Amino acid sequence: MDLLNFEPVSLPAGTAAWRQQVRGFLAEHAAGIDAERRANAWAVFDEGFSRALGARGWIGLTWPAPYGGAGRSALERYVLLEELLAAGAPVGAHWIADRQSGPALLRYGSELQRQRFLPAITRGECYFCIGMSEPGAGSDLAAVRTRAERRADHWLLNGQKLWTTHAHRAHMMITLVRTGTEAGQAGKRHEGLSQLLVDLKSPGVTVRPIVDLAGEVHFNEVFFDDVRVPHDMLLGQEGQGWVQCTSELSLERSGPERYLSSHALFVEFLRCADPQSQAQRIEIGRLTAELWTLRQMSLAVAGRLALGQDPALEAAIVKDLGNSFEQALPRRVQALLDDGLALEDDTALARVLALLLQTSPSFSLRGGTREILRGIIARGLGLR
Amino acid sequence: MSTEQGRMLADTLTRLFRDQGKTQAALSEAWNDGLWQQLHEMGLPQLLVPEDQGGAGGTMEDALPVAQALGAFAVALPLGEVMLARQMAARCGLPLAEEASLVGLATTATGMLGGEAGDEPLRFTGTLHGVPWGRHLQRLLAVIEHPGGPRLIELPATAASCRPAHNPAGEPRDRLQFDQAPVHSVPCPPPVAQDLIYQGALWRVGQMAGAMHSLLQRTVDHARDRVQFGKPIGSFQAVQQQLALFGAETAAVGCAAQAAFRCAARAASRVGTVAGIETGGDAHFEIAAAKLRANLAVETATGVAHQVHGAIGFTREHDLHHFTRRLLAWRSEFGSDRHWSELLGQAVISRGVDTFWADLTARGDAMAVPA
Repeated sequence: MDLLNFEPVSLPAGTAAWRQQVRGFLAEHAAGIDAERRANAWAVFDEGFSRALGARGWIGLTWPAPYGGAGRSALERYVLLEELLAAGAPVGAHWIADRQSGPALLRYGSELQRQRFLPAITRGECYFCIGMSEPGAGSDLAAVRTRAERRADHWLLNGQKLWTTHAHRAHMMITLVRTGTEAGQAGKRHEGLSQLLVDLKSPGVTVRPIVDLAGEVHFNEVFFDDVRVPHDMLLGQEGQGWVQCTSELSLERSGPERYLSSHALFVEFLRCADPQSQAQRIEIGRLTAELWTLRQMSLAVAGRLALGQDPALEAAIVKDLGNSFEQALPRRVQALLDDGLALEDDTALARVLALLLQTSPSFSLRGGTREILRGIIARGLGLR
Repeated sequence: MSTEQGRMLADTLTRLFRDQGKTQAALSEAWNDGLWQQLHEMGLPQLLVPEDQGGAGGTMEDALPVAQALGAFAVALPLGEVMLARQMAARCGLPLAEEASLVGLATTATGMLGGEAGDEPLRFTGTLHGVPWGRHLQRLLAVIEHPGGPRLIELPATAASCRPAHNPAGEPRDRLQFDQAPVHSVPCPPPVAQDLIYQGALWRVGQMAGAMHSLLQRTVDHARDRVQFGKPIGSFQAVQQQLALFGAETAAVGCAAQAAFRCAARAASRVGTVAGIETGGDAHFEIAAAKLRANLAVETATGVAHQVHGAIGFTREHDLHHFTRRLLAWRSEFGSDRHWSELLGQAVISRGVDTFWADLTARGDAMAVPA
């Protein structure tokens, strides 16, 4: 069973200097952020920060120079991302475009599409969202019913997307739509799907924000009512939408954002730690060991991605373990602190803990639920 | 040793262990003298001894395939303990006769050395606890506090009165009592003495990674073979979800083991250098984290393995217990969950919140490879 391949990666020479450079930027642009805003930082939308990061050339870091990229290595990008997240920098505006949409355009996009979007993404000016889930298609993604019909001058798009993060603020959506076979046809559900680049300012697009349980707005429902999408906004091949969108999942699942969403809480917990408390020493030791291991695993996957491999199984393992860690962290801290801390207190620790207790259930839902991931792992083990 | 040589060593050991007879018990229960002789002839006990002291000059990273194979086949021989004993002797400059192949290492000693330093031979009176395979050893090393600083002593194991004891896996962990036994002794630099529990813990991490991987494979195989309700139990989602969790834990331990062994190898090569001082000069943080992570994974690994195997896995006859009992026993050896978590937590808290992330990343960055 060599499927569990987490060969440790050695970071490239110059990593320490590069990390210092990133920290210098963060000291200037991301210092003094409230703990609640540092929590789950990759969901925090801040156009000003994204533009500043783009101005440094650090969005699309690995992309080729003609498209505005810096041509740096995947492991250098990993270092950049983990520094941004550990500092709690508000990277949400450009995050999806940088992580997924840009790489999808580089891999499947036409020259026209690349020229139009990639430089704007790298400047921190053009934001993307991912239109996958629908009311009847959550974990069962192949059940999507949103449909695009090829007309003489355009695609005619009708349907609805749901839980679309940042659709209310993004410019573009890479939308998974049905262009061929109906969803109901057994055995052919993965056929007839395509990806369209939809401008969310188009007539017929309605975005309705959904308030989450903590009172915040991150995700939306998006309605398409006879939306006209130009033919040249088809991404990649017609009918290849399933393969195209699932091929990006390793990128989506193994990054440092999959175990650092609660890092701001760990930091505040550590800041208030009582060295006299054995229970706290033990819990901090355990959390440290888990965090160190997750980082090694995530780096190992990054190393394989950098070699051009697609470690989909290992990526699913990192996401499952990482999500479990970042999700359990608020409850573990709560269990230790509830005698000495009131959740309504106006302290950084109380505020970030109260927020994450409420929002952490989403960590094992977004980007592939725990159960779906474990199904993938079971398949990798040879059980399915 | 290159990666390729490491893989060849792993393959050689796999073949050797697989050919040791038809039953798992032949490898995992009785003392197998023939196998010990073969391992000895391969030179493995000398793997970690520097070349200029007659060894193979291997690093801990080179030794990882050995630890993993010993764990994966649940081999009841003290090869790792002998390798560490010989490494310890080499570090302190204590010459060991090659022919005394079974040299053990005691980590818990109570007693005292009689006589003045330089007044050889000193005599040891006291007790060594939990000595792995103590009854089979020829020579035995231990670190003893002494007025002039800690000393590494070499004892004739046969001079001891031995009270047999076992860990929960049935591996000998004997109590050896000495009365005025003559010893060879050399000063043991305090950092070397302090490093002993870390080296032992690291070795157990390697064995645990191997044993857990093997246990996972066996459990998956069982889930695919065992039919209930007209289909293999591994086709039920309830079972798949548990095995996936077990798989993820196994992956975590494997990754932690590889990272910690690599770090130990690189740290050892930098001991005494400026870079070594700046970065802590050792792999203690990584070893502590890896042992703790392995300990934590034992919960899920042994629990799911037994649950999936059902009643048959609870029998003496079935092979399962050779792996689950070892994992449970090794969890308590060279540092429990509490030991390592408290130590790590203390270190992190005392360094302070502002250095946590910087420390975590600096250790990896310091090992960056030159382009």
